[in-house]
Amino acid sequence: MSLKKIFEEHPERRYIMFGGKGGLGKTTFSAATAYWLAQQGKKVLVFSVDPQASLSDIFQKDIFGKGPVKIMENLWAQEIDADQHIKAYQNEIRKKILDMYGFDKVPDEIEQYIQAASAEPAMEESAIFDAVVDIVIGGEYDYYIYDLVPLGHALYYLSMAKVYDEWINKITKLREEMREYEEMVSRLKREKETEEDQILTELQYIRTRINASSSILTDKEKTGFFFVIIPEEMILIDTAKAAELFAKFDVPIMGYVVNRVVPRELLQQNIPAYLKNRIEMQDKYLEQIKTTFGQQVASHVPELERDVTGLDMIRQLAEIMYGN
Amino acid sequence: MTQEEPKNPEKKSFWQNMKEIIYGMASHDMSRYALRTRASMEHLFILITMGDMIGIPILPPYYSLRLLPYVVPQISTWKRRLLREKDVSDAMF
Repeated sequence: MSLKKIFEEHPERRYIMFGGKGGLGKTTFSAATAYWLAQQGKKVLVFSVDPQASLSDIFQKDIFGKGPVKIMENLWAQEIDADQHIKAYQNEIRKKILDMYGFDKVPDEIEQYIQAASAEPAMEESAIFDAVVDIVIGGEYDYYIYDLVPLGHALYYLSMAKVYDEWINKITKLREEMREYEEMVSRLKREKETEEDQILTELQYIRTRINASSSILTDKEKTGFFFVIIPEEMILIDTAKAAELFAKFDVPIMGYVVNRVVPRELLQQNIPAYLKNRIEMQDKYLEQIKTTFGQQVASHVPELERDVTGLDMIRQLAEIMYGN
Repeated sequence: MTQEEPKNPEKKSFWQNMKEIIYGMASHDMSRYALRTRASMEHLFILITMGDMIGIPILPPYYSLRLLPYVVPQISTWKRRLLREKDVSDAMF
């Protein structure tokens, strides 16, 4: 089934992801898909969850940390600046402490903790995860295109929702038990009402956010995940492994896009042995792709004569991917 | 009859008082116990969420920060309790 047909037959799939090993063309395909959808009159946001995002490079416009930036009619792009997000988050916490207790400054040990927490290795990913929750909860675009991080990392990103969910469930349970004791005491003391547990309220808030995000990622009706592959052995082996793991996280896989296929027309010309050998090698793996993924292969994209940067090249690629 | 009338309410209030004292003794103990358990749980809770503060790496810290403002007043008691030396008498009281 062609990419165009997939999108036409499933207009309800608003959350589109391109995943694959590093450097295979995830960003390129995200940009081209976003471009095509925008041309079809849909309001599209393409955003990157990669700390080393390259949407700025492909659109040739500095969009890092600037929120959604309009690229053309109907098309917005966003690169999340994790550091900026963390700083804003820290300030929000500081302000809350100052407001709640009327302090002039945050106590030293608390300040140290705030600073140390942001040096944690997982902090950057968590901040991006949280920023993505904000983006997708907004719901103002027709399509959300995730320009994902390379495979291993993407799995980590997906599993993060599960880890958070379990963590939140455990501590919410503990908090609820504490609440029972509190209520017992106030019954014994014959106090009318216990104060609202703000921590419990906060935990429930965090939980709804995480659930909102993870339910989108695994929603079989609204989400579609495409694997980007190239006809080479290592990539195929890795992708097969990753596909299994992704399936474990209930990520709905919509298809595979094969990139960097050397144009077969070249065979009619007098080409060097080097190129002939590459074509032969690709033929072998293309056959393998056909038998392994069959109908799931949505598109073959040829190796282009130059790299894809700038709207003009993106348009050309979109025409190849979606036909015109 | 006229003499007995004021006696009865006095008697009642005496028993009432006794009841309240007994109830108070029992429930005070219970509520004290409940409060102690709750305090222990509070410390456990802070340990689970803010363990990083005393060098126990606990994941994930991102959302822990959201909870931080609410536990600020308890932090010093919590640290004191966790870092206190323990002896046999702890088991008795």
